[in-house]
Amino acid sequence: MNAKAMTDLPLAGVRVTDFSWIGAGSYLTKLLADLGADVIKIESSAKLDALRVSPPFKDRIKGVNRSGYFSDRNTSKRSMTVNVKTPAGLALIRRLVAVSDIVANNFAPGTMDKLGLGYEQLKAINPRIIHIGMSMHGAAGPEANTIGYGLTIGAISGLQYLCGSPEREPVGSGTNYPDHVPNPCHGAFAVLAALRHQRRTGLGQNIDMAQTEPMIALLAPAMIDCAVNARDVPRAGNRSADRAPRGVFRCCGEDRWIAISIGTDKQWRSLCEVLGFPADRESWRTASGRLAEQDDIEKALAASIAAWDAFELMERLQARGVPAGVMQTAADVIERDPQLAHRSHWRKLAHPEMGDALHNAQPFKFARVTVGPLSAAPCLGEHTEEICRTLLGLSAQEIADLQCNGVLC
Amino acid sequence: MKRSDAPAALAGLRVLDLSGAPGQYCGKLFADLGADVILIEPPGGSPLRREAPFIGDRPDPEAGIPFAYLNTNKRSVCLDLGRNADRELFRRLAAGADLLIDTEQPGVMAERGLGWEELAKLRPGIVQTSISPFGQSGPYAHWEADDLVLLALGGLLSLGGYAGGEPTAVYGQQAYAAGSLFAAVASMAAVLGAEASGRGDFIDVSIQEAVVMALENAAQFYDLEKVVRGRTGGQQSVAGSGQFPCKDGFVYMLGRGISSPQFWTSTVRWLNEENVEGASELQEPRWLERDFISSDAAKTRFAELFVGFSMSRTKEQLYRAAKERRIPLAPVCAPSDVLASPQLRYREFFVPVWNEFAGRAITMPGAPYQLLGTPWRIARPAPGIDQHRLEILSEIEAVS
Repeated sequence: MNAKAMTDLPLAGVRVTDFSWIGAGSYLTKLLADLGADVIKIESSAKLDALRVSPPFKDRIKGVNRSGYFSDRNTSKRSMTVNVKTPAGLALIRRLVAVSDIVANNFAPGTMDKLGLGYEQLKAINPRIIHIGMSMHGAAGPEANTIGYGLTIGAISGLQYLCGSPEREPVGSGTNYPDHVPNPCHGAFAVLAALRHQRRTGLGQNIDMAQTEPMIALLAPAMIDCAVNARDVPRAGNRSADRAPRGVFRCCGEDRWIAISIGTDKQWRSLCEVLGFPADRESWRTASGRLAEQDDIEKALAASIAAWDAFELMERLQARGVPAGVMQTAADVIERDPQLAHRSHWRKLAHPEMGDALHNAQPFKFARVTVGPLSAAPCLGEHTEEICRTLLGLSAQEIADLQCNGVLC
Repeated sequence: MKRSDAPAALAGLRVLDLSGAPGQYCGKLFADLGADVILIEPPGGSPLRREAPFIGDRPDPEAGIPFAYLNTNKRSVCLDLGRNADRELFRRLAAGADLLIDTEQPGVMAERGLGWEELAKLRPGIVQTSISPFGQSGPYAHWEADDLVLLALGGLLSLGGYAGGEPTAVYGQQAYAAGSLFAAVASMAAVLGAEASGRGDFIDVSIQEAVVMALENAAQFYDLEKVVRGRTGGQQSVAGSGQFPCKDGFVYMLGRGISSPQFWTSTVRWLNEENVEGASELQEPRWLERDFISSDAAKTRFAELFVGFSMSRTKEQLYRAAKERRIPLAPVCAPSDVLASPQLRYREFFVPVWNEFAGRAITMPGAPYQLLGTPWRIARPAPGIDQHRLEILSEIEAVS
């Protein structure tokens, strides 16, 4: 990525002082960085971002610059190590805030205030500043001080309860889902909307995002159904109230499955033809009949599909316009999927300790510019000296002194 | 400042929302922060109007709950883009628009003469965001897919479900949600860029790729350690972290921190203070060893100890006790629990929104973020089919 191209990125010229760490916060600011913002990750060697020391590691050797997970979450950023709890460190941050548009964090409520960097304090330094705090439950309220992570957000929000089989216990998404999509994307959207207001009025603002709330927003049909129709919707597995059959069926081979979702009568006929389905009943030719008898349909399909190769069946069904997709594993999406390869989804980015490490590209492409990831995650403190020199105007001697005094570490 | 008087972050922004189920949340995010979003529906209305659940279980196109939620603050006009006259109306709308969101089949807009290059001649600053299952080009570009198929091909399905059992989709059309959300972020960034430069852009969003972003560390685990993550539903990740039954449901406990032993120490102290039978053995050093706590033997033993205790307590009792000890333990909440949450009530998260079909306000999730200077708000409920045709046509006339 050359400098010319970077200045064309939509968020070129936007600067973020980024205190976020671990999950959702880091992914939010990664979005901004990949879109061209100068995101400066404020770190501490004494209290590391836990993802820096979370597996997987290059060659399985633990190290602060060796986690593939951390690198994927922190592409296109710069890293500055500062001890914010020293007066000199705090002074440096205040100078950085003065030349920033956005300050982000996902600490517990009150943490930034204790550091001397609460919204009112930031606003006094720079009235244009946009601050986003993304704590578990929001800045205030009876539960504001309760800690949490992606999985407990999943439990509190209803996600865990709503996923799974009607006969068994709740099973959730199998991941810390709120950390990966709902919270980072909602947070990034909110910050960018606030940036528009800042550009139009010169005014910054405070954004309070509770990490439970974007997830609940994405579960709206179940919430509204409960409020309006006075019921907790039962877990539905892979079924849909609107179409049948809709399910995941075992194919031949180890843990191979195919998802099939029939939306029209024509798709149903095509599915039966491809499978040579002898058991098709008159009543299954309409959507209402299929919905009513989906137990029987699923049994018949399972028997018919079990001997198929999942990929071959997917190709045959898609050739006939039937919505079908193999349950791909992480290995499949990386090595086998021709569509993701066509979109260059997987990027090998140069990293000083990890070599060419695998990173996700963003799921959007712009016609006029190439958005990031622009670079792998920064090494711990990689840009401390550069930022002090170029953005904060410190001399080499001043920087050396601050390093000796334990301020820049 | 009263909420209704406060400025809106996206005031003055004109958005055309030509999307179905996979994209309507994107337009909602813009509309709820103050953009003027026009939902362009096909003749007969958006197919999403006919999706369940329904108010009172009545399958009426004005009673659909997903549509009512995803289209708050939008206006509606029906256009048949197969007809010349309506394509001309669309062009005139586009000439005044900052953003077009669509979920059309790749290539269809260009065939209609409504591709981004054409629209940019009318409005150089227009951003067009096309959300499609697999992207605008490539071997799968014309494949058929719904939310479940995209969760499968995007890999998230392989992580969800019971250990050793059938893969289970995450609830709530999350593939569509992911596509809409990444589309919204990219669109907002592009609109900011266009407002600064005067030049718009075309954005190609792949929902499959958006799902891949939810794979957590699974891709990197495969890349660096050649380990393929699978489904672990119903199992503890390590001994002490997972879902456990209690008297009235389930709780989810993270008795192990990501990198520090503090949650474990607190959990062991808690169980010993509660005189849980056998809890003293959890103080043995092997409960801090990675290999041991990952073993089935350790998980089984921990579950024996803990479930004996948890089954005598409600999820609320366990939550309060763990909270005092700063252990991340959460009740597994049903929607009715979420609606009753004192914290969400304190934040006024759920909001009443007028519903014409019900003849009363219905409760919906509200602001997913609180922008304190430019508040999120609902100014109008989701539109009826073609409800704003006359006012939208007269606005076009006034401009030309």
